[in-house]
Amino acid sequence: MRPDKPGEGPAVLLGEVRTGLLQHSVELPLSATDRLLGLRHGERVRSSQRPNVQAHSPDLLTGVDCALATGSHRSVRGVGTVTARAVLTEGRVLQASVRARLAAAEGAQRLPWSHYLARPGTVEVIGRAEAPALADGHLTAGPGATLDLGAIAERMLTGIQGGGGLDRRAPFRSRRIRLRWTAVRADLAGEAPGGRLTVEDDTLRTLRLTLDRIDPAEVTAFCEDLALHDWLLSTLGRLIERSGLGSDPGPGPVLKLRPAVNHLMHLWMPGARVARPLAPLWDGLETRPGFSRQWAAAVQRVRDHLALQAVGLHAQPVRKD
Amino acid sequence: MDTTFREVSADPRTASVPLSHLSLEIGHLYMDDFAAGPARLREQFARVKPWADAARAACTAPAGRRPRISTCFLIDDYFTRFSSPAEVVPQLIAEAEACGLTIDYLARESACAETDGCHPARLVESRLVESPPPGTNGSRPPTTATGWLSNGERSPGLDHLLAEAMGGDTGWRPPRETEARRHSVFLDVELWDEQHGRRTWSCPYLAAVWQLLRLGLLRDRGQEVLHPADRPETFPHSWDALPPLVRLNPHADPFAAYRTFSVLASRFLPIEHAVKIVLEQWAPEEPVLAQLAERAGQEGVPLPDDVIARVGYVFHGQP
Amino acid sequence: MLVFATSDKGGTGRSVTSANIAYRRALLGDDVCYLDFDFGSPTSAAVFDVPSALRGVDQAGLHSYLRGNVAEPKRVNVWSESDSASLRNRPSGSGQLVLVPGDRGGGEFVTGGDAVRRCTELFLRLEEEFDIILVDLSAGRSYAAEMVLEATSRPELAEVVTRWLVFHRWTRQHIIAASGLVYGDRGIMAAGAARGHDEDTLRDSVRFVRAAVPDPSSPMFTQLRPAQAAWLRACHEDLTRLASQHRLGQTLVLGTVPLDPVLQWQEQLITDDDVLASRVANTETAEAFAALAVALTHDRAWESPL
Ligand SMILES: Nc1ncnc2c1ncn2[C@@H]1O[C@H](COP(=O)(O)OP(=O)(O)O)[C@@H](O)[C@H]1O
Ligand SMILES: [Mg+2]
Repeated sequence: MRPDKPGEGPAVLLGEVRTGLLQHSVELPLSATDRLLGLRHGERVRSSQRPNVQAHSPDLLTGVDCALATGSHRSVRGVGTVTARAVLTEGRVLQASVRARLAAAEGAQRLPWSHYLARPGTVEVIGRAEAPALADGHLTAGPGATLDLGAIAERMLTGIQGGGGLDRRAPFRSRRIRLRWTAVRADLAGEAPGGRLTVEDDTLRTLRLTLDRIDPAEVTAFCEDLALHDWLLSTLGRLIERSGLGSDPGPGPVLKLRPAVNHLMHLWMPGARVARPLAPLWDGLETRPGFSRQWAAAVQRVRDHLALQAVGLHAQPVRKD
Repeated sequence: MDTTFREVSADPRTASVPLSHLSLEIGHLYMDDFAAGPARLREQFARVKPWADAARAACTAPAGRRPRISTCFLIDDYFTRFSSPAEVVPQLIAEAEACGLTIDYLARESACAETDGCHPARLVESRLVESPPPGTNGSRPPTTATGWLSNGERSPGLDHLLAEAMGGDTGWRPPRETEARRHSVFLDVELWDEQHGRRTWSCPYLAAVWQLLRLGLLRDRGQEVLHPADRPETFPHSWDALPPLVRLNPHADPFAAYRTFSVLASRFLPIEHAVKIVLEQWAPEEPVLAQLAERAGQEGVPLPDDVIARVGYVFHGQP
Repeated sequence: MLVFATSDKGGTGRSVTSANIAYRRALLGDDVCYLDFDFGSPTSAAVFDVPSALRGVDQAGLHSYLRGNVAEPKRVNVWSESDSASLRNRPSGSGQLVLVPGDRGGGEFVTGGDAVRRCTELFLRLEEEFDIILVDLSAGRSYAAEMVLEATSRPELAEVVTRWLVFHRWTRQHIIAASGLVYGDRGIMAAGAARGHDEDTLRDSVRFVRAAVPDPSSPMFTQLRPAQAAWLRACHEDLTRLASQHRLGQTLVLGTVPLDPVLQWQEQLITDDDVLASRVANTETAEAFAALAVALTHDRAWESPL
């Protein structure tokens, strides 16, 4: 990696978003989010109400000094801080989002810690590694000694979900889903700008972005938005699957789908908070695999079922005693 | 046509504060010093004077500009309460003047812990980011010892030894300074203790808060933390009635500054070593850092990125 | 819901029975997670027949997690990783069945405040995802039991429903020992109260499970001489009296599992195949497990007997 040039933006950004259901029986009102997300004394929770209600915790820093995976067996050393924040959407879906920008270190030694604190959210790379290799390393690293953004996100979620203020009576059980992502500058990647989203397994997705210019705040917001909608889609799918819709003719499915109707359906708003330069990425995902298409089909299926059940119930003969 | 949309709550502003080039501290006052009488005060100021002059001389402003320098003095009213402002402050001013020194700002140490509705000590605490020992990859939470901050890795505690008892890896390990050059100078700083649910901040910790206040780096929800009050007509009879920060000299340059310089007796060396450990692990707010950098740039004053590099000292021997 | 399975002695049938309860709950459609906290002798991998967990968990098991060596413990999906053909295909309508194994040769020492914190976080984390979290503790007054008592006394877990199943065999020694484990010196009640648990709430969250109880009327005992049968019956009555004297009488019994020929030879899950197709296991055993699984969340079974 070469040192960043002014105005060019960072060469590589690494991140991970973990998304889960807030462990609370009802939507948390905006007035209560200050306490929930006020993770640091003296700093404000940022919130906005358009186009939907979303609140952000202050950015927290975690110090790291460890190996960075490079996709091959060779690894380099990274020293610095990573940034973590929590995002709550409509008082319902909680995300922990962790990111680090990589920058080339000037020397071969670790510097006094205050040097790194003056560059919050930057991990300096000591040793030779190319930007695309570092990005690949992040996406493919298994558990081990290399930089673990996921663990930081996980701890943040657990801390918030277990902290006071939540009644822990969530309307349904759900999984946390991980989106591990990277953004590499196109000139360094030697590729045209674009993105590649991969569903690795039930709970892990990876996203590889190649961009002309990397604005860390914008890219992070895009990844959070994508993670949110991927979680919504996966969670609704699972609720439908587990409801017995399609196999159980009784009232079971309706009861099991009610939480989905009450708590998830109105949350779909892909791309609403995505900066203009990144909007084409969403457009691409809408074409293939077609996030909104699948969501609309699932929602329609639930609605149809509810409608049919309602008809069925009315159609039953009224007993007269 | 283009429309813009903004929600203030989503993008709050950060206040900026007026800045001098240098904040020059010309002493601390503890009960013992005061109890020893006015002669002791004068002796101390006389020792400080040449170093204070040297600091002024060393403070460079851009060509053709007068350097803005403000002096300050801190009184301990946190750990011990003695006498009263009415008795102490006029004496202080007089003795300083007799030695050719002007005290621009007078601060109470308890203001570093708490001033009306604001808790500078807690603001500082919430932004401590511990220096990671090599091998820290984020998978474990930092091994904090509540209420303590060190410059390295502690010796493993009993819990650890027990946990490892089955793993075969037992035995004592010495503590290690993370930035050691071969040999360690390990220091573990007690930030506070608690008795009956009441927290008492330690003296070195409050000294670190004091440095950050002088550096203009603290904000509470984006707002200025310590705004100087004008000098009252007469000084009150209780410390609580004295504003936490008083501008004694109406013509003084701003209290906060790009850099600080403190002239202290050498017995404060261990305290200031501890201050360094706190400041080195304190993460400034990005917008504040950027604000200061931008203004320094506009003025043409060099300003190091590292907070710790903005802090300077002279330690003088005692009589 | 958090369910802790414990027993005073080893070899009571705790692990096998609780694994079968977990299996039955999953069949009923719940998402179930089984944690092997039996740090001294982790056996769950054998019961669920998941050899990958037997071999693989040298590093990322529960011990490593509680010691802080890994950020998350390894999970084994029983439906897809079991070697047993009848478990291999996830039955339709069933929920997740996930095993979180201990480390092989992990030892018993996992103590200290950090371990309790991690344990608390793990419970919270799993509770988001699973309907039932079944924790197989080690026998007797163990560190594992102390750790979970400590964890469940924390405010973070205050809202989580917690239940205790105490397993014992149907003998004098076992009845007295099980009573001691709950009510005796340094028992669950005493240790819980010392950690700030409300005694009434804790007592009401404890139920007993009688495991491997010989049933004189079952076909296994058809060969008994009349004198033997009479003796067995008398014994059974004595034990029943003893049990109620020791405060583990019928109102506090969640269920009874009969002595089963298959389980006597092999630690395993009793599937419907074992009962209906190969007919090696007794229907009564499968029914007992199923009944226990239902009783686990049946309000009537958990009403305060007072
Ligand atoms: N209902 C039963 N009938 C016969 N044998 C049983 C029964 N339940 C358990 N066993 C057997 O008893 C032994 C001990 O059971 P296990 O579950 O390992 O006990 P624990 O976990 O209490 O040590 C095992 O060999 C098991 O197969
Ligand atoms: Mg066992």
